[in-house]
Amino acid sequence: MNRFRSLGTAAVLSLLLSACSSTPPGQPQKDAEPVAPSQVMKFTTLYAQNCSGCHGAQGRGGAAIALADPVYLAIVDQASVRKVIANGVHGTTMPGFAESAGGMLTDKQVDAITSGIFSNWVRKGILDGSNPPSYAAKTAANAANGKLAYRTYCASCHGPEGEGGRKGSAITNDSFLALVSDQGLRTIVITGRPELGAPDWRGNVPGKPMTDQEITDVVAWLASRRVQNPGQPYSASNYAQP
Amino acid sequence: MRIMNAKIGPAVAKIGEWFDRRLQLAAPIREAAEHPVPRKTASWFYVFGSAALTVFLLQVVTGILLALIYVPSAGQAWSSLQALNHDVALGWFIRAMHGWGSNFMVAIVLIHMVQVFLFGAYKFPRELTWIIGVFLLLMTLGMAFSGQVLRFDQDAYWGLGIGASISSRVPIIGPAAVKLLLGGPIIAGATLSRFFALHVFVIPGMLIAFVGLHLLMVLKLGINEWPMPGRIVKRATYEREYHELTKQDGAPFVPYAIWKDMFFTAFIILAIAACAFYFGPFGPTGQPDPTIIQTAPKPDYFFLWLYALLSLLPPSMETPFLLIAPVLVILALILLPFLSGEGEKSWKRRPIAVLTVLLIAITLGTFTRLAQFAPWSPHMNAWSGDPVPDRFVHGTTALQRQGALVFQFKQCRNCHSLGNTGGQRGPALDSVAVRLTHDQLIRQVIQGGGNMPAYGNNLSPAETTALVAFLETLHPAGQSPARDAARDIALGDSSQKTSGGPRRDKR
Amino acid sequence: MSTKTVLVPSSDATISRRGFFMKLGILFNGFAALVLAVPVVGFLLSSITRGRGNSYLAWVPLGRIDEFPEGQTRLATFRNLNVMPTDGKTVDTACWVRRVAGETFQVFAINCAHLGCPVRWFPQSGLFMCPCHGGAYYRDGARASGPPERGLFQYPYKVENGLISIQAGELPTPGAAIASLTGEKPPCAS
Repeated sequence: MNRFRSLGTAAVLSLLLSACSSTPPGQPQKDAEPVAPSQVMKFTTLYAQNCSGCHGAQGRGGAAIALADPVYLAIVDQASVRKVIANGVHGTTMPGFAESAGGMLTDKQVDAITSGIFSNWVRKGILDGSNPPSYAAKTAANAANGKLAYRTYCASCHGPEGEGGRKGSAITNDSFLALVSDQGLRTIVITGRPELGAPDWRGNVPGKPMTDQEITDVVAWLASRRVQNPGQPYSASNYAQP
Repeated sequence: MRIMNAKIGPAVAKIGEWFDRRLQLAAPIREAAEHPVPRKTASWFYVFGSAALTVFLLQVVTGILLALIYVPSAGQAWSSLQALNHDVALGWFIRAMHGWGSNFMVAIVLIHMVQVFLFGAYKFPRELTWIIGVFLLLMTLGMAFSGQVLRFDQDAYWGLGIGASISSRVPIIGPAAVKLLLGGPIIAGATLSRFFALHVFVIPGMLIAFVGLHLLMVLKLGINEWPMPGRIVKRATYEREYHELTKQDGAPFVPYAIWKDMFFTAFIILAIAACAFYFGPFGPTGQPDPTIIQTAPKPDYFFLWLYALLSLLPPSMETPFLLIAPVLVILALILLPFLSGEGEKSWKRRPIAVLTVLLIAITLGTFTRLAQFAPWSPHMNAWSGDPVPDRFVHGTTALQRQGALVFQFKQCRNCHSLGNTGGQRGPALDSVAVRLTHDQLIRQVIQGGGNMPAYGNNLSPAETTALVAFLETLHPAGQSPARDAARDIALGDSSQKTSGGPRRDKR
Repeated sequence: MSTKTVLVPSSDATISRRGFFMKLGILFNGFAALVLAVPVVGFLLSSITRGRGNSYLAWVPLGRIDEFPEGQTRLATFRNLNVMPTDGKTVDTACWVRRVAGETFQVFAINCAHLGCPVRWFPQSGLFMCPCHGGAYYRDGARASGPPERGLFQYPYKVENGLISIQAGELPTPGAAIASLTGEKPPCAS
């Protein structure tokens, strides 16, 4: 009887003690309170809600380019990235997220995403000594030279006319070209798609990086392959007899 | 010790005598406590009524405690709840007790009702006890809804909008009913104030009166005897038979039957306290600010089935159902004791009663379960937040990847899942290429149909081509995509090599 | 107690003095109840009469029209004109403003025409989607899919001196349309 009682007392006491000493599991935590959507400033949350659909979880890349690619972040500046996030890229599948462009994010949130991308994923000095091409084209483009450069650097994977080859897919497809901007093409030529196995501007021909001018020209040649009415699903060219 | 008792005993008795001479309550209380009940009713099946009463009293106590801090003003209710959660010592626990208590109360009232129904306790002469019980159930649900409104957060705000939209559909008086419900033309301060009055004064007052009547009738008419198959209730003979039963095989309610009630009651209170301790209070969710539109309001647990029903009913049936079904259900419950006031009490000889209970329980359970996922609601952030699974990106062509971008960009993902993420309103598209050919995919995205909007005005030919090229890659490894046999014959086997080209092994 | 005071119902024709006063008392109390009922019922129903000086039919400014780019749909918020001190944030309401072209607008209520949940506009797909029961609407507010039986509610608007204002002071609900069929004055949003 005595032992029973002491055991019971111990049980009750320990229960009470656990209730008093540490915070009870049900007690609401102050930082767990819901924040108004316009007040969310945490980069990981904002990225997960607004960006990861296309750019992949943690910037690893998805259908669109990887934002955590240090090569990409080394050539692009914050102002350009911010502008694209805020206003989108017209004609492509990158929407504008700022309220001023019809999106749902405040200016501060756009800032938070922009600075978060750089502060989390930049790797300093990754392109030291490799003389990287500029993010935007600076010189006049020549499409005819671009075709020659294409033959040198791209055709081995993407086929002689960009119709696709053994290792790379079609990149002169009319619908594809209609949905991607010139800057988008330039970015991919420079950075490649490392997560999908496409090399950056240095790796197309081993030991022979593309020059800034060559990149500009290749993009101009690709752009020149755009057609008037892209994406006609029943156009005869799609059903050419073999 | 004994000496003390000898001294105190007579003193206490004297004081008691003094009060009883003036109150004259001891005799009726003793009579009520010791009234004989049929021996078999001292059962664990008969504890739910007293448990419901206890939880109600608990709600009264915790409710009064909350009212010490809570401010029934649309401008301050939310912050007063925050203060309860964080600033007032143990405020969160009292909130949690009240919230969990309400869940327990609805559950126990429902269980009590099922038990009464299956044991035939609503039959003669206890018809009125049952009818008052039906009103008690309605009031309990009314308390649950108004209590959800008092937790004045986003869910409460939009829940009120739903309540207003439903009441607006009542013919002729609908719009007036909305304003009466909201206390004005919009959901605002007056709305919360009137729900506060309902939750704190009107409904509890009625509940106390009705509970009193309900209890009085239980005492006067006696606890329903344990139903025996073959023992038939007849109006002419029942009361005499019951009297004989309690005389021959009866036992005083106290202490013979009450100890089980007491045990169960204590158990329920401890269970509520444990839930409150471990799971904490409900909400409040975001601020009740109607300009915050990024919200997906959901009702509390006990109205989830209604949420499911409102999503699943065909649109044309919704208004008639909403207006007629509650009337029919309440009428059926009230008329039940008149329609089957006599006859067999035992559930063993009442298969239809058992099946009805099972059917209702399974229906409500299924709807509640469904409402927890809400497969009918688009996921508003899926298009920008849910990544396209890697296996649908790797080994695709540039065009197909653009198609995946179009898929996200045009919010297809909000209703269609890929790799189990995304909305579930439309079918999952992981293997859509097996079901639909190239032409069928184009038709579906352009014209919509089958509860899908038409996207024709919103997709350029290039976007359509890219999107369809992506959708055609969505098939399991072992299954080839659907092909149009007629076109194969007309144009040759490789004709379905569309502009996107087949899925490749390498990028 | 003497036998004299015992009330003996004599015959039907005569009314005893006490019986008369009893009836008079009931009548008097009935009158008092009536006097009490008029203000009580009037007070209770005051929310139905288009209250607070009928100001909800007044025009609420949404902003300059050049804040709304042509061909786009933007979220706007406005403050209800009837503000009580206890209203808090509930008097601020959002609505979707679609500038069709020039001074032609469509102002949609935020409330879904099904059960009043807040609809979201997605410019990319040109759809309004409702998070509750899955209603969807096209850019012009017409029903696209889901449980709603009609298109989005639209507020009456006017453009004056480059300012757009709407008539909004009432929660738009699906039953209102039925009410206007029965001859009642149409509500703000329809």
